[in-house]
Amino acid sequence: MKQDVKVLVVDDSTIMRKVIIGILEQVGINSLNILQAADGEEGVQTALNSPVHLILMDWNMPKMLGIDALKAIRAAGNKTPILMVTTEGEKQNVVTAIQAGATNYLIKPFNAEDLREKVEQILEVRT
Amino acid sequence: MSNATSIDSVLVNAISRATMDVLKTMANTDVQFNGVAAKPDYEGTGDISAIIGITGESGEGMIALSFSTNLASLIVSRLLGQSPETITGDDRCDGIGELVNMISGNAKVSLSQNSGTPYKLSLPTIILGAGHSVASRPKNNPYLLMTFEVEGMPFHLQLSFKYR
Repeated sequence: MKQDVKVLVVDDSTIMRKVIIGILEQVGINSLNILQAADGEEGVQTALNSPVHLILMDWNMPKMLGIDALKAIRAAGNKTPILMVTTEGEKQNVVTAIQAGATNYLIKPFNAEDLREKVEQILEVRT
Repeated sequence: MSNATSIDSVLVNAISRATMDVLKTMANTDVQFNGVAAKPDYEGTGDISAIIGITGESGEGMIALSFSTNLASLIVSRLLGQSPETITGDDRCDGIGELVNMISGNAKVSLSQNSGTPYKLSLPTIILGAGHSVASRPKNNPYLLMTFEVEGMPFHLQLSFKYR
C-alpha cells in the first residue's frame, strides 16, 4: 500500500538522511520514491517541482533554514504534510513551526519507533 | 559569578545527559561519563573534532566533540547499521557533526529556559588531525573538558561559554 507513497527528506547531514531513509524503508516506502535535498533552498525547489505525499524537514541547514523552507512551501500554496525532524527542542520553536504550517514535530535524537509512528500517523490520515 | 557557576553546573548536567542519550538513542551505544575538569584553553584532543557555536541573549560559546578515528568509525557505523570497515572519512565527519548538533541542541534547550528567546546554533565545523587547534575559538575564557568513555575508549566534549 505504501509502495506508491513519495517522500522528500530535507536534511544537510548525509548520515541523517541515510538513517531516516532506512526507517522509511522499514515502514514500507520504496527507496526509489524517496527524494532528498541537502538544504532548505533545494528542499523548497524539490517540494514545489516534484509532488510528494510527505516532507521530512530539518531546521538548521545551510542556504535556508528549515523553518523558512516550511514557510516558503506554505506561501506557495503547497499543502503537503511536513514533519519537522530537528534538534530545536524549545517549546517556542515547536509552536513557531506548527503555526507556520508544520503537520507534526519530532525532536532529535529520536528512536526508529518514534519516527515510524509519526510517519504512519500522517500517511494514515492521507489514506 | 555565582549565577554563572550554577548555570555551568546545569549545563554540564544537561550536556552529559544529552551525550549519553544521543549515543544510546541513535547509535545504541552505552556511554560512561568520567568527569569534568576546568581548563584555561581549548585542548586538541582526539583525531576528529566537530565544533558548534551557540549564541543567545545571555551569552555565547562553543561546544566541541572530539573522537579518535577508531571510535568515530565505530559510532558512525552503529548510526548507519553498517560495519566500521565500511565507514569513510566523509561518513565520520558528517556523523560526528550530526552528533554535536544533537547534543548542542539539547544543551540549548537548557540554556533557553533562562532566556526570553531560544538560543541559536551555528552549523557544525569539522577539524581533523591530532593536536589540532581552533583559531576562532572563544579566548580568555575557561573551558570545561568533559571526559566520556565507550567500551574502554575515551572521547571528550569541551565547552566554553561567556555570559554577558
